Amino acid sequence: MQEPELHDLSDDADYAASLQQGSASTMITRSDSGRSTSSSVPEGAEIVYSKDNVTIHPSQYASERISGRLKLIKQGSSLFMTWIPLKGQSTNARLSERDRNLYTIRAVSFTDVRSIRRRTPTFGWQYIIVVLSSGLAFPQLYFYNGGVKEFLATIKQHIFIVRSLEDANVFLVNDFQNPLQKTLSSLELPVYIASGPSASVSDGGESSSYELQERIGGSIHDEIHRPSQNPGRQKHKSHDPARDLTIHKGKVLAQTPPDVPHKPSMDAEIVLEPVPSDPLEHSYVGNMIMNIFPDVVQRETQQHISRYKLTEPPLGSEEWATFLDSEGRVMDAKAFKTRIFYGGVEHTIRREVWPFLLGYHAYDSTYAEREYLKSTKKSAYETVRQQWQSISTEQAKRFTKFRERKGLIDKDVVRTDRALPFYDGDDNPNVNILRDILLTYSFYNFDLGYCQGMSDLLSPILFVMEDESESFWCFVALMERLGPNFNRDQNGMHSQLFALSKLVELLDSPLHNYFKQNDCLNYFFCFRWVLIQFKREFEYKKTMRLWEVLWTHYLSEHLHLYVCVAILKRYRNKIIGEHMDFDTLLKFTNELSGHIDLDAILRDAEALCICAGENGAARIPPGTPPSLPIESENALLYAQDDEVL
Amino acid sequence: MSYAYLFKYIIIGDTGVGKSCLLLQFTDKRFQPVHDLTIGVEFGARMITIDNKPIKLQIWDTAGQESFRSITRSYYRGAAGALLVYDITRRETFNHLASWLEDARQHANANMTIMLIGNKSDLAHRRAVSTEEGEQFAKEHGLIFMEASAKTAQNVEEAFIKTAATIYKKIQDGVFDVSNESYGIKVGYGGIPGSSGGRDGASAQAGGCCS
Repeated sequence: MQEPELHDLSDDADYAASLQQGSASTMITRSDSGRSTSSSVPEGAEIVYSKDNVTIHPSQYASERISGRLKLIKQGSSLFMTWIPLKGQSTNARLSERDRNLYTIRAVSFTDVRSIRRRTPTFGWQYIIVVLSSGLAFPQLYFYNGGVKEFLATIKQHIFIVRSLEDANVFLVNDFQNPLQKTLSSLELPVYIASGPSASVSDGGESSSYELQERIGGSIHDEIHRPSQNPGRQKHKSHDPARDLTIHKGKVLAQTPPDVPHKPSMDAEIVLEPVPSDPLEHSYVGNMIMNIFPDVVQRETQQHISRYKLTEPPLGSEEWATFLDSEGRVMDAKAFKTRIFYGGVEHTIRREVWPFLLGYHAYDSTYAEREYLKSTKKSAYETVRQQWQSISTEQAKRFTKFRERKGLIDKDVVRTDRALPFYDGDDNPNVNILRDILLTYSFYNFDLGYCQGMSDLLSPILFVMEDESESFWCFVALMERLGPNFNRDQNGMHSQLFALSKLVELLDSPLHNYFKQNDCLNYFFCFRWVLIQFKREFEYKKTMRLWEVLWTHYLSEHLHLYVCVAILKRYRNKIIGEHMDFDTLLKFTNELSGHIDLDAILRDAEALCICAGENGAARIPPGTPPSLPIESENALLYAQDDEVL
Repeated sequence: MSYAYLFKYIIIGDTGVGKSCLLLQFTDKRFQPVHDLTIGVEFGARMITIDNKPIKLQIWDTAGQESFRSITRSYYRGAAGALLVYDITRRETFNHLASWLEDARQHANANMTIMLIGNKSDLAHRRAVSTEEGEQFAKEHGLIFMEASAKTAQNVEEAFIKTAATIYKKIQDGVFDVSNESYGIKVGYGGIPGSSGGRDGASAQAGGCCS
């Protein structure tokens, strides 16, 4: 066992040459216990990628860095990655041999890799973080001479990797140890997703980690469970929760994956590093917490996720202020949306926040710009409103379309949320405003006009905005996305229900088959859910919370469809067990109104969305609302013509 | 709750004619002018007694707006009875009856019993459709007809029960094969004549909202 790598590496002509170039006189020495024997290039293996000057920064001091060579080695159908430090290239004497050895990556098989994150800092070198399926991550590997792209391209040539849906800079490899994977199985997904090879599954744990990381140092202790799956780590001191916190506040756990034999002495090594300032970097640290404890039973895991993610307090005004720069721009829209996704918004600041989520306000707009927008939009609104207000009784007699619309709207506004104090009572001015906005909208978008369900969508907006013109423009922004729900031919609804059927097919094929056999594939029993975004399924407050979560478009524009899947999955056993036919099913889903646990459903929907990953996204045809419609070639031509003219 | 038969009803007609109010008056015996407009479909149920037999009516109250027609059509399947409602104060709701009827004929069972209801009979001073016109339309199309008021409850009970009685008679006459549920009739387990009486509120007089 003594130094087999040394020997093997010396057989590697390429490696040897580089050593000479780097005038390295000494080979890597290692600590002296048993380890993987696969860190070299075995017989019949081929080096498919090799890059020098790939460097690790063990501390925040750029001077303390360890340069090495990153290689991809192909053997048979397997791909391995190695990173071997080059002693001569270390810059600081303080870094001991042991430090270098600690970081050495010995032939890690990509079957043990879950994801690779690529980061391109504004200043400094591009780097990657390799996250193992155990949840542990190697330290950042900085590519001093570039080559990240080639690295990823090479991997892609040999194994199947996919980009994460949430983050284009995350490349997903395997995910077997992912707790969300387990959540997935607890949601009774078909086997081919839950345990199928690579690619079909996205990187759930990572998405959870930022929020999770935020809670480090909080109440996380009691939620940590001891592992049983990983014998190497079981003996590890860090199973003391307090110890774990230390680890996570620090960083860098260069570990071999659990199924690869490794040196106990290395296991015990925790190299502390200052917490990086980039929150995205935190995330893989947080990620570890969940993955260090793989024995948590499925349900518990799911509960963990929920506690980590969905018990965030709503975004309050003080925290909201921290998202804004001095002139009122939202500095980090993604972080802002993430925050709302997991916690919602306090009611008092909804008026400020919703216009951003709805796309009425641009994230990079300033206070002054928004004030200006408000005044110009107010007069624009009044101009459109004037169009119908100026219609005389005489004119109305010869304007059937107008009379019909007005009649319909008049009838519907008095049948919209009248149990709410905001809209109750006779001659309630808010009901009149509701009517004026809807009628004005039916002129603003005359082709779409008015359709039942719109008042349900407008009601909370007016309730929140408490301003006629601002509500109108927020509603306009919402209808940009949901307008197709109200097309006369119902094609917007049909396309969403179709996408929903495809998602159920993917995420619960037995349920899909059941629906198929029972002639329920039209999914009309989810019609109301989709048409008005679950407005009738939850109490008013919860609806607002759900909407702001949906509007973040954080995991998917189509999270609402995953919410549908989540609800159906919750009751799948009842549906199938009681042999519900279409009528019974419709009645059943109708009667779920008021009985759905929003937090639980959001948690499930999130897990389903993450787990479905790109497969899920691929099932949803392009242009399915609320995605903006795909511009047809003609439309583009017209646009160009307009520009020419 | 035991019943001899279960009949599926569907209430159709233009938006705002009072479909939901008729249902509520029938199931809850109250008039609620302020209620949310119907999206998709709502359900109601009540036990009635015909020929001493407890019969459960399961009633589907549909959204009336034109845009939702394609969805509404899927609700006809397996309906034994339909209440086609118009508003006697709004002429256009009467004018649209033919298209509703066409939908019903096309998507429902051919033996579905259809009751035409001219609602809001309490608003006689604003009447835009005469009783005779309603009668005439019903006659032409082979429908049962009644004017009713969900507000005053006038004829509401009668409309639902008369429809049920017609369906029941069709069963007695052997028009339906009751073992085939596509006719909108389910045979229950409590079908022993006279055995269910007032228990469970299972009579026309003591009806309540049940499901």
